[in-house]
Amino acid sequence: MSGKEITLIVDGREVVATEGEMLHDAARKGDVEIPVFCYEPKLGDPVGACRMCLVEIEGIPKLQTSCSTPVRDGMVVHTRTDQVKQAQSAVVEFLLVNHPLDCPVCDKGGECPLQDISYGWGPEKSRFTDDKRHFQKPVELSPLVAIDRERCILCYRCVRFSQEVAEDEQLQLLERGDRTFVGTFDDRPYVAPFHGNITDLCPVGALTSYTYRFRARPWDIEQAGSVCTLCPSQCNVSFTVRDERVKRVIARDNAEVDDGWLCDRGRYGFEMFDAPERVRGPRLRGGAEATWEEAVAKAAAALKAGGEQAAAIVGDASNEEGYLVQHIMREALGSPHVDSRRSRGPGREALARLAQPEISAKVRDIDAAGTILVVGTDPLHSSPILDLRIRKAIRRNGAKLVVATEAPTALDGGAEAVTRFVPGNATAFLSGLAEAPPDVLRNAESVVVIWGERIGREQGAVEALLDVASALNLASTEGSGLLEVPELANARGLREAGCLPDAGPGLTGSVLSTSEVTNTGTSGMGTEEIRAALEARELKTLLLFGVDPLRDFPDTEAWKNAIVKAEHVVCFSTFDNATTALADVVFPLETHAEKDGTVTHPDGRLQRVRPAAARPGDIRPNWGVLAEISLALGHDIGISSQPSAFKALTEAVPFYAGITDADIAGRGIRWQETPAGANVPEVDEAPGVGSSKHSSGAPAERFEDPTPGALTLSTYRDLWAGPITELNPPLRFLQPQQRVEVSVSDAEQLGLKSGDSVRVARGGKSLGALVSVRERVPEGVCLMVEGVAEGNANAMLNGAPVSVRIEKDAAP
Amino acid sequence: MPETRLLLKHAEDPALRTLAGYRGYGGYASLEKAYKEMEADEVLKELEDSGLRGRGGAGFAMGKKASFLPRGEMDKYLCCNADESEPGAFKDRELMQRNPHQLIEGIAIAALAAGAGHAFIFIRGEYDSQADVLDAAVAEAYEAGYLGEGIRGTRRDLELVVHRGAGAYICGEETALLDALEGKRGNPRLKPPFPAVQGLYGGPTLINNVETLSNVPHIVRNGAEWFKGFGTEQSPGTKVVSVSGCVRRPGNYEVELGIPTRELIMDLAGGPAEGREVKAFYPGGSSSPVLRAEEGLDLPYSFEAMAEAGSMLGSGSIIVADDSVSIPHMALRTARFYHHESCGKCTPCREGTNWTVKMLERVVRGEATPMDLDIVASVQENIIGHCLCVLGDSMAMPVGAMVRKFREEFEEAIAAASEGAPAVAERIPVVQGAPETLGAST
Repeated sequence: MSGKEITLIVDGREVVATEGEMLHDAARKGDVEIPVFCYEPKLGDPVGACRMCLVEIEGIPKLQTSCSTPVRDGMVVHTRTDQVKQAQSAVVEFLLVNHPLDCPVCDKGGECPLQDISYGWGPEKSRFTDDKRHFQKPVELSPLVAIDRERCILCYRCVRFSQEVAEDEQLQLLERGDRTFVGTFDDRPYVAPFHGNITDLCPVGALTSYTYRFRARPWDIEQAGSVCTLCPSQCNVSFTVRDERVKRVIARDNAEVDDGWLCDRGRYGFEMFDAPERVRGPRLRGGAEATWEEAVAKAAAALKAGGEQAAAIVGDASNEEGYLVQHIMREALGSPHVDSRRSRGPGREALARLAQPEISAKVRDIDAAGTILVVGTDPLHSSPILDLRIRKAIRRNGAKLVVATEAPTALDGGAEAVTRFVPGNATAFLSGLAEAPPDVLRNAESVVVIWGERIGREQGAVEALLDVASALNLASTEGSGLLEVPELANARGLREAGCLPDAGPGLTGSVLSTSEVTNTGTSGMGTEEIRAALEARELKTLLLFGVDPLRDFPDTEAWKNAIVKAEHVVCFSTFDNATTALADVVFPLETHAEKDGTVTHPDGRLQRVRPAAARPGDIRPNWGVLAEISLALGHDIGISSQPSAFKALTEAVPFYAGITDADIAGRGIRWQETPAGANVPEVDEAPGVGSSKHSSGAPAERFEDPTPGALTLSTYRDLWAGPITELNPPLRFLQPQQRVEVSVSDAEQLGLKSGDSVRVARGGKSLGALVSVRERVPEGVCLMVEGVAEGNANAMLNGAPVSVRIEKDAAP
Repeated sequence: MPETRLLLKHAEDPALRTLAGYRGYGGYASLEKAYKEMEADEVLKELEDSGLRGRGGAGFAMGKKASFLPRGEMDKYLCCNADESEPGAFKDRELMQRNPHQLIEGIAIAALAAGAGHAFIFIRGEYDSQADVLDAAVAEAYEAGYLGEGIRGTRRDLELVVHRGAGAYICGEETALLDALEGKRGNPRLKPPFPAVQGLYGGPTLINNVETLSNVPHIVRNGAEWFKGFGTEQSPGTKVVSVSGCVRRPGNYEVELGIPTRELIMDLAGGPAEGREVKAFYPGGSSSPVLRAEEGLDLPYSFEAMAEAGSMLGSGSIIVADDSVSIPHMALRTARFYHHESCGKCTPCREGTNWTVKMLERVVRGEATPMDLDIVASVQENIIGHCLCVLGDSMAMPVGAMVRKFREEFEEAIAAASEGAPAVAERIPVVQGAPETLGAST
């Protein structure tokens, strides 16, 4: 788009618009609404199929579709002439020829564009008296979505979504003419990670979610805007609430974050808010219910007993919650042992360098990127909405994609180049890349590097990534930068709030106000050290806030051992799990539908999670519980409300300074774009390529297991692994089974074929799995899933690369 | 007036379809001339000067269309539209079957003019034997160096592929043809962008009908001035006209544009059977508004005269209905065809064709009222000009014209059928372009 301002006349009004934008959108700027069904700019180029938006343009004899007509200076448009009214009314009449008009029993009734447009632009009554077409209805388009083909007006939106946005290409239009219907090849279920979006897109009641059918009517619901914190994408959502319970989750379009799409996790993962597994009030060991006073006193006593030998690990938490936990640890207990990572991670200095605004990319930069480099992550699993964003950049704007990962990704098919590095060799790979970047990166006008936090478990990897950034001049190139895909939804916010062993709020070096720690960072223990220290009984008390080490952290057995050996375990958790069963005190946590607080998107955008639904049982706001615990420890934090907690956070984090709730509003604000952005901690001049020698983390020597028959284990968190598919009945069918994916050649060598039942063994440990032979798995590597209920691959890990052997089960 | 055969010259000779036969009559001399003696721009200019109008239906000036393709180094395409599927049209079938090399030569020259390096013939799937003929001819042309790399020793290349359609009328619509060729569902695209700018695989694309391209070698060989010596000022050249329906000698007749329509129907095609009179006819295929005998028979058969009479020359296919034909049934049959072939992408066509069929079925069953006829007419008005492509209009124009011009007959049909009488004989003109048969005057 040229961006040139032009003036046109719509219904006699002068409208200022951008040259080349579609007439429909330009008219809206002049408060002229032109009705549409098929037009939806998010789906790409207009198709002009519904013909609803026909208007008269002076100088053109035929009526034109305003959705597909770019505006020109001086254009004179009429949208309410008799000719236009007649055409629009005719289109409505045509649309209703085959529409059942069963509005009284249709879920869409009351929020239905077809209803609204029929009232606004249609004829008073239809002249159609013949039989309408009939289909079997409703039928299962997928286990989550029902399709009523009689209601369908064939606007093409759902099909375009499937083909041109999600690119799963499962939805098709079958047959033709008025016999056309939406379906899939061979009537197979439409199972794809983003398919729920079609229910938002459908302008009639043809596509409805089973989770919402007949649950509510538009006049007895409320919409509550919030943010989904089930993954780092932090998509903006709107909760449909009836009787204080969430009945539906729909997208709340924010082009800076999610482009108006949601993944099915975020959309359908809400029934767990009322799951029986929900922790509904404070409890003591053994499951005994406790009063709040009792539980707070008990927790305070446990923490006090730990004192400087207490440690905290924070996970599913807001910025304020993270801030309060680290504050309690540091200020009330004098303990620096706080972390928010599942394993190891880069040190403060590397994090401070990553936080520099000039090398940070924002989500929108992906759209216009010349080249996108995906390193060490599969966005589909770890931050699904980015998968769509990358596809969009390639499809619409011709971006080039380079994928460098341990394992195959969903994006490989659209990539210009795909490289695999051996697990444990990210540092070596990135160093090589920094020394000799390929042309596709070097010659690109802009480069957005999307990197997985997971590589930071490896020593020097983040430093090597920073070297890549300097080699590609990301800091000085407009639209270029790094964008992290962290493991936790609010990982960035928690780190910036001070949940790091070697950095306080704002990534500052002085982490204890009571001590004389300086920038050299006499720091606390990180997650892995905490585990080791608990096992060695060097730490006494463990505070877990929204984390489940026994499911999510590497080396399950060691963690179990550590928790058992801890003298006191205080656990904040949303749901019952193996970890809460071992805790002395369990506090309930709010879900993102109940919580009030802020989170920070991986690109630095502060967003607000707003309470939408009632807290079930005897759940209290988390900030209040933390404040009370602190008070019981004799330390008055001075927090009396969520706003005061937010204020304390912004006062503690220099680069959040002055940001207000009004700044965040409904769309969030990147702190880099506020005046406070200048307060980002200073770092030394980029040390230059090859600086990645000094760092903490796992040993960096190239990992190779010389034992014949051994395969290096690469694990990943599957989109559907974990409580999401266990606690939400509608999603249960997606629960992944543990399987071990091997390359074709390794399968041949080991005599394995897909479907074989095997045991994957390392040392004394082994897991059962089914073999899946995949072409794109690199030789010498096998893949397993973390976080599943049965055979969780975390059991096999120890924080460093490991190798495993695959043993065939004896024939049954 | 006899036929004027340019394209169908020597068509009765079965050897014409072979390379040797075609060359025997001077074939491929135009290609040699164009490729070796002319610049692409000269060829283009010659085509523009000739005033050759597209023979596929729209009648757009062929040379002008070719000139819309942007210049410069990029992948450009030429598509020959051989998806001849309109009821009443069977001229391309004959042209391909009898003289495939004329088409190939035309494609090669047009590709040169348009700067296209890849060409396709999209032939309707039912034209199986014609596709076989083309396949054989294309193979011969490659062999002889008229296609492929370094055509006839020049440094120009052209790849030509014969692609068989899967049986959908809509794929004759140029943008649906492109989608189908790309392997997608054959649905029309939104225009603009026009194919000349963004067509096949997003590249500039020239799309021409078989007959249009078959004219090209003659124009290049004899010059634009020579070509303009045939036909009328606005409709130069000859036209292969398919005449079918209630005539004694149905078939293809090549005539100069502008001859009286009466000569085509009454003389060349022999007129209706003994004792019958022409009641009405479609002048340009089933999508053209029908003309009553008295309004149409004495019109010159040219693009401009037909347009002036409120109809169109279209693809040049005349379907004649004599006085034994029931117009309501003819309207229903027409509507059913378009209803069956509507792709369903845009609302007015999808629902309008369906609704029209249902109403006309009631008309012939006697279950309609005269008010329904008003609704039929109004629905046609609501379709025309509101669709994504012309398929909807292609039903609405003839059906609308029939209701308008033969309203009494519809009313009588309703009345008769509702009284239980076997109303009007269900007689409609049957398209009888007999295979292998040129017009009987040969």
